Amino acid sequence: MEIIKTIGLTKKFGDFIANDNIDLIVEKGEIKAIVGENGAGKSTLMNMLYGLLKPTAGEIFIRGENVHFDSPNDAINKGIGMVHQHFKLVPSLTISENVMLGIEIDKKIIVGKHSFSMPSIDHKRESKVVQALIDRFQFGLNATDVVKNLSIGAKQKVEILKMLYRNVEIVIFDEPTAVLTPQEIEAFFKTMRELKQQGKSIILITHKLQEVMEVSDSVTVIKQGKIIGNRITKDTSNKELARMMIGREVLLRVEKHYQDYSEKPIIYEVNNLSTKNHEGINVVNGINFFLREGEILGIAGVEGNGQTELLDLLTGLLKSTSGTVRFLGKDITNEWPDTLRLEKIAFIPEDRYEQGLCTDMSIGENIIAGYHGNLDVCKNGILISKKIAEKRNRLIKNYDIRVSDCEGKVSSLSGGNAQKIIISREFDADPLLLIAAQPTRGVDIGAIEFIHQSLLNIQKNGKSILLISSELSEIMSLADRIAVIYKGQIIGEVSGKDASREEIGYLMAGILERSHENES
Amino acid sequence: MKVDKSVLKQIGLKTLNTIIPVLIAFAIGSIVILFAKENPLNIYFILFDRSFFRIQGFLKTLHYAGPLILAGLAIALSFKSGLFNMGIEGQIVSAGFVVAVLGYRWQSLPSITLIPLLLVSGILVGVLVALLPAFLKARYNVNEMVVTLLLNYAIVQILEYLTSNVFRDPSSGYVSTNMIGQSAIMTRLLGSKLTLFFFVVIIVFVIFYIIFNHSKLGFEITAMGKNRFFAEATGMRIQKKIMIIMLTSGALAGLAGAGWMLSEKFSYTLDFSGTPGLGWDGMLIALLGSHSPIGILIAGIFYAVLKTGSSNIAIFTNVPAEIIVLLQALIVLFLSLKSILKIKPIPVGKLFQRKEKS
Repeated sequence: MEIIKTIGLTKKFGDFIANDNIDLIVEKGEIKAIVGENGAGKSTLMNMLYGLLKPTAGEIFIRGENVHFDSPNDAINKGIGMVHQHFKLVPSLTISENVMLGIEIDKKIIVGKHSFSMPSIDHKRESKVVQALIDRFQFGLNATDVVKNLSIGAKQKVEILKMLYRNVEIVIFDEPTAVLTPQEIEAFFKTMRELKQQGKSIILITHKLQEVMEVSDSVTVIKQGKIIGNRITKDTSNKELARMMIGREVLLRVEKHYQDYSEKPIIYEVNNLSTKNHEGINVVNGINFFLREGEILGIAGVEGNGQTELLDLLTGLLKSTSGTVRFLGKDITNEWPDTLRLEKIAFIPEDRYEQGLCTDMSIGENIIAGYHGNLDVCKNGILISKKIAEKRNRLIKNYDIRVSDCEGKVSSLSGGNAQKIIISREFDADPLLLIAAQPTRGVDIGAIEFIHQSLLNIQKNGKSILLISSELSEIMSLADRIAVIYKGQIIGEVSGKDASREEIGYLMAGILERSHENES
Repeated sequence: MKVDKSVLKQIGLKTLNTIIPVLIAFAIGSIVILFAKENPLNIYFILFDRSFFRIQGFLKTLHYAGPLILAGLAIALSFKSGLFNMGIEGQIVSAGFVVAVLGYRWQSLPSITLIPLLLVSGILVGVLVALLPAFLKARYNVNEMVVTLLLNYAIVQILEYLTSNVFRDPSSGYVSTNMIGQSAIMTRLLGSKLTLFFFVVIIVFVIFYIIFNHSKLGFEITAMGKNRFFAEATGMRIQKKIMIIMLTSGALAGLAGAGWMLSEKFSYTLDFSGTPGLGWDGMLIALLGSHSPIGILIAGIFYAVLKTGSSNIAIFTNVPAEIIVLLQALIVLFLSLKSILKIKPIPVGKLFQRKEKS
């Protein structure tokens, strides 16, 4: 039975067509994966199904009934629920209170045949009802636990419970695994299969093809707002899906040569580094690591475990409360970003459009930023526009940056090409050490391949790289050693060559004992 | 030198965006003129003819344009970097006051040393007044807009006290400092109101044109204004830049005040800066010129035309000179429409960049 069917669904934002004539069919009781690169139009499509956006043209049918949604409430009433990537929970309330938010059960007084609602909430009844729901789906939670004490995986379950309590038949998951550890991802897949067992239909939006292959029944590939194709999961491969998403053959994993670096000199050393955030909490708490010449050290971890603050410390944007950073024997703790650049340390920042680029400035201006005082473009404080244009054209050519107008602004570039601007800028400075954070976040698979290859190329030239990423597969395919960050500390380290996902996964979840067992 | 088509189109749009509010203001102004039973075209003819198309009038216009251009540059410099130095007015009057006092005290010195000395003193006073908000902003991130804005009122009150008590010229019939010495007065050229000060302004203008469009500092100012995090992450030391920008802005304002004193006013009175005040005029000029140096040059001269023209209107017609104030107000009103329409200005410097062959 077709539970969702759309015919010619189209959404335009001005001249831009975000969704073009989408004919999507979701069968009852299946897990439907929708894949596509960033900006392909997945979110737009889901927002229309969930009543957050109104279609420009086309029809939506739920169980054969033509529906028009004005708000998510309408969608929920028709049985469609959505679990967002960023959870919408109240941390200080319990699980049952979060689930019941907006539809609380009031205390009742029964007098004879009549019952009167009291202006207070019947917490006992609420937790009983929610606990029953938890048990029915075997979520293994306690309805009276406070949400802020829960792990991220458990929080996601609370989001799902919110939808289940509202009796939805169809659950949409928007990039659900981005914030989970490998073990939590496994548990999440189990939950999804459980939901399917109970007759729910699931739409899974993702760009991780591995997950699609593992959990879904059918796949729809979207590219540039159009459906490129539908596949039954067991009849396809992630190679084929990647080709459909990009439109050409891609390497899913780059070739990496491992070698022994233990004889090479240590060039970068971080000792007992700590800092507090603006709330006075120790977000980086005594971090120690070192980096040898020519080596790639990956720092893995679930997002929000101090990576951002560590990065800000290492790039001179945040002051440490204690600890030292030494580079080539020199103390560079709390040095300014421009001094660090002069020491030949280059940066690929975490947030491309906030710290890495100024979208409102031209490509040329972005390509010299950070190195704009260097003699090749600047003499006596005057910038030489001819030299800037030369440098820009050279880098655009060497790094294959696709630009429609080289005089144009960076805002006109796609995510991948914008990232290439940063990469070309930092690589061209010929650094001895590169600190790269989330270098492939939000870029398409084609650009990921290019970026990974470029990182390995500069390693080949004897440069060291510190790679901070929450994308485990990225770290596993690039790093020689993998350190795992958990609650602002390096909780363990494994060799990149024979690391297992499971081992790193336990460390990411803060579980130490298991990894020791594995070592011995 | 080839000019990019899209750049030309943008410049066209930008110019249109500046001219249209002015035209609307003049159109509404003409209705008011009709109430005074005069021909608007006639009035506007007098306005422009006498202050722009006749040589003496034009030189007078340039004379008035000098401090306005400096004030406009001071505003643009800070606004472009995302800092809001609203204290230009206070910096101008402080500089004017100190220069008036020193110009009287040091009048035994010869012109050749005294005038440069006084101009430099004016600059220093401007820097000094800007120092407090700049420091508070750079060190403690105190909102510079509030500090500079409020400081204006404090300064005006202090100067009023000093002028009417400590430094008052007892022989004068109204509240005023002593007149500056003969040797401190800048000589008028070509029998017009124009003095050498205007050429000082032109030199400063050229320097700032280069700074805005071709220098490392200008690049960092633009980057700071457009994306602070980006500027910080790419190693432009924000705190240091805040000091440099705020103090330079103050220096420009100080120079404007000193020049206004030495070439026009000669003694500090309570209406030294006029109404609404040179600093506030500068803000309108910077807005009219889209914070670009060339735009500010044109807007400054246009604004000076209105200023000189207003006295001509009062002399030659029945329309009161206040019509000009009305026009100014209307221009401000319709200029703010520009930000509603959200067509982004582009740096004028782009016009002169060579198109690369690729």
